[in-house]
Amino acid sequence: FKDDFSTSPHLFTPMSPYDLELPIQASSQLSQSKELHTDFSSVDLSFLPDVTQDNKEQNLSEDGQETQKELDGSLPSKEDSGVFMGESSLSHPGAAQPSPEAPGVCPPLTPMTPITPATSASESSGIVPQLQNIVSTVNLACKLDLKNIALHARNAEYNPKRFAAVIMRIREPRTTALIFSSGKMVCTGAKSEEQSRLAARKYARVVQKLGFPAKFLDFKIQNMVGSCDVRFPIRLEGLVLTHQQFSSYEPELFPGLVYRMVKPRIVLLIFVSGKVVLTGAKDRSEIYEAFENIYPILRGFKKPS
Amino acid sequence: MAARGRCPECGSASLVEDAHYAQQQLVCAACGCVLSEGLLTTTYTDEEHLREVAYSQSTGQKEQLSRCLQRGIRRVQDLCKVLKLPAAFEETAVSYFQRALELPAFHLVSLEKKELLGGCCVLVTCRQRRWPLTMGTVCSLLYAKQELFASVFLSLQRELGLSVPALSLADLVTTHLSSFRLLQPSANIPAPFLEDKEQLVARTMAIVELASDTWLVTGRHPVPVVTAAAFLAWQSLRPGPRLSCPLARFCRLAGVELPPPAQLRLKELLEILLAMASQLSWLRAFRLDKRTVVKHVGDLLQHRLFLLKRAFSQQDGLEQQDTGLGDSPAQGPPSSPAVPQQQGCPSAGQQQQRGTLRPLLPPCLLQPRKRLRAAAPSAAGAAVTGDEPISDSEIEQYLRSPEEIRAFRKAKAWS
Repeated sequence: FKDDFSTSPHLFTPMSPYDLELPIQASSQLSQSKELHTDFSSVDLSFLPDVTQDNKEQNLSEDGQETQKELDGSLPSKEDSGVFMGESSLSHPGAAQPSPEAPGVCPPLTPMTPITPATSASESSGIVPQLQNIVSTVNLACKLDLKNIALHARNAEYNPKRFAAVIMRIREPRTTALIFSSGKMVCTGAKSEEQSRLAARKYARVVQKLGFPAKFLDFKIQNMVGSCDVRFPIRLEGLVLTHQQFSSYEPELFPGLVYRMVKPRIVLLIFVSGKVVLTGAKDRSEIYEAFENIYPILRGFKKPS
Repeated sequence: MAARGRCPECGSASLVEDAHYAQQQLVCAACGCVLSEGLLTTTYTDEEHLREVAYSQSTGQKEQLSRCLQRGIRRVQDLCKVLKLPAAFEETAVSYFQRALELPAFHLVSLEKKELLGGCCVLVTCRQRRWPLTMGTVCSLLYAKQELFASVFLSLQRELGLSVPALSLADLVTTHLSSFRLLQPSANIPAPFLEDKEQLVARTMAIVELASDTWLVTGRHPVPVVTAAAFLAWQSLRPGPRLSCPLARFCRLAGVELPPPAQLRLKELLEILLAMASQLSWLRAFRLDKRTVVKHVGDLLQHRLFLLKRAFSQQDGLEQQDTGLGDSPAQGPPSSPAVPQQQGCPSAGQQQQRGTLRPLLPPCLLQPRKRLRAAAPSAAGAAVTGDEPISDSEIEQYLRSPEEIRAFRKAKAWS
């Protein structure tokens, strides 16, 4: 889990090349309504320093925050995308990204302000957790014949003796879905909320094409997993002593410390190398907030005792 | 009813079953002698037919301990006896067990888990009273699977809301070493291998502290660290005859298991010691390697604090002042703060020139494993709105063609 912003300018600098997302706090409850974006596919908005106009308009749904931007590697390459196939939009269905891509999760510059009111640079960590996995559920609202689906779909596996659902995979966004005969579906593996929604819609479309009257009801993000690196080793024994009511550190069982934060209700896995995994969030802002809460605590354990 | 034998008094065969005040009696019809009375039925069916008051209601069975609970409590008590724990521990463990078993989370689990629950209660009690009991010991006593034990332990902690302090390494050292057989004379132990317990414990403690200062303990299983430290301590107390004894043989002689990570811990400890040794002026003359450094462990431990500061570069570039332990000024200035390198540093052998120093970091940071997966998704992925139109062709690539379906049907015989 690389920290992408180790070499990038400080997050508060408006010169970030990354486009912005604004997970406005009020929107976190309303994940149902989705407003369609105006299409910005040909416009490069990377020069915009701050909250863009369309973001202000889309103040309901958190998903519809991002604008499209140039896809052809004009962004400084930070990470090697490696195994990940090009996540190009549908206008370039087959094009693989030529250069290593920048991290897909845009650093939300402005969410720092609602969470940490003090704007002094030394107080914020300057590190943004990256989302690694999103789990969502949706109701297709029709009974499904799983054997039929497994027979007619290439990307499906179905072993009723092992598990009572069809496991279906699509390449883009690279995700996996569990489809149950009741019509409920679980979609995992996406790296952002929008990707999860798009993937779920694609699965629903596949089911539709297989002849079932599938709908797309009650799409809900159930869990989000993020990770980041604080770049210094952490004394886990010390942390478990001072934060005993929240931490569980059993080196005989697991090398990391399990920190159950109360507000927001997030579970963090903290390792001696400084890597932190955050999970249990229903909303992206919870992950960011949790990390901002834990960072000053971890800094306290930076130096060897 | 049918006569069952003869009356002992008059020999008559006419026996009658009668009820006297609702008490069954077998009476001889001829002489009136009572053969037997008050036959309490012992068969369950009889009781049922008579509709007597139910056993559980009449005897307050609900207030009594269930058989399962009794068995569990006995198990906990046996465990405490085997581990030779003080009596107070037993009471606490039993009370935890009783509380836990009432909770729905543990009431309906398998018997195997209930046994493990008993072991977990003992473990929690020991941890709270700072008695160094390892999970490995409890698991081996209960013949338990480590994963299952782990899950029961964690859920017990959560359900009862117990605060379980961490295992104290210092206590673990004392307990672990007391089980070593090298401390008493015995037939199969050569004389030079015998060691005094106090000295061994003291030196092992010092090495364990050194290990925890240098990030060798955090996140790792404690027992292999203690084993490796004990081995080093034992070797260093009398290096002459003992240097040639490998770790495996040492564990066999001591009568303890050799945990697999102990070899790695030993290697790491030796690296640390070598780095420290390079900072001691009177040792610099020797070209120490992993074997010979053991002879000087005593010195190194004595000046441990100073050497740690000198031998390793500081994370944030802070340089400690040279407090001078006979170091000649001709050595030159200490390595500059700009030097500390986060990546893998050259080995200790090169530190004779006081060049680049290894930073004091956990081994997982010094030797990062090759990353199997890239962390970041593409930039374009972020541009996804979730509401893009989905092309038919894209979906159709996931559907089987009719020929494929026919072939599959033939091959797999879908019913």
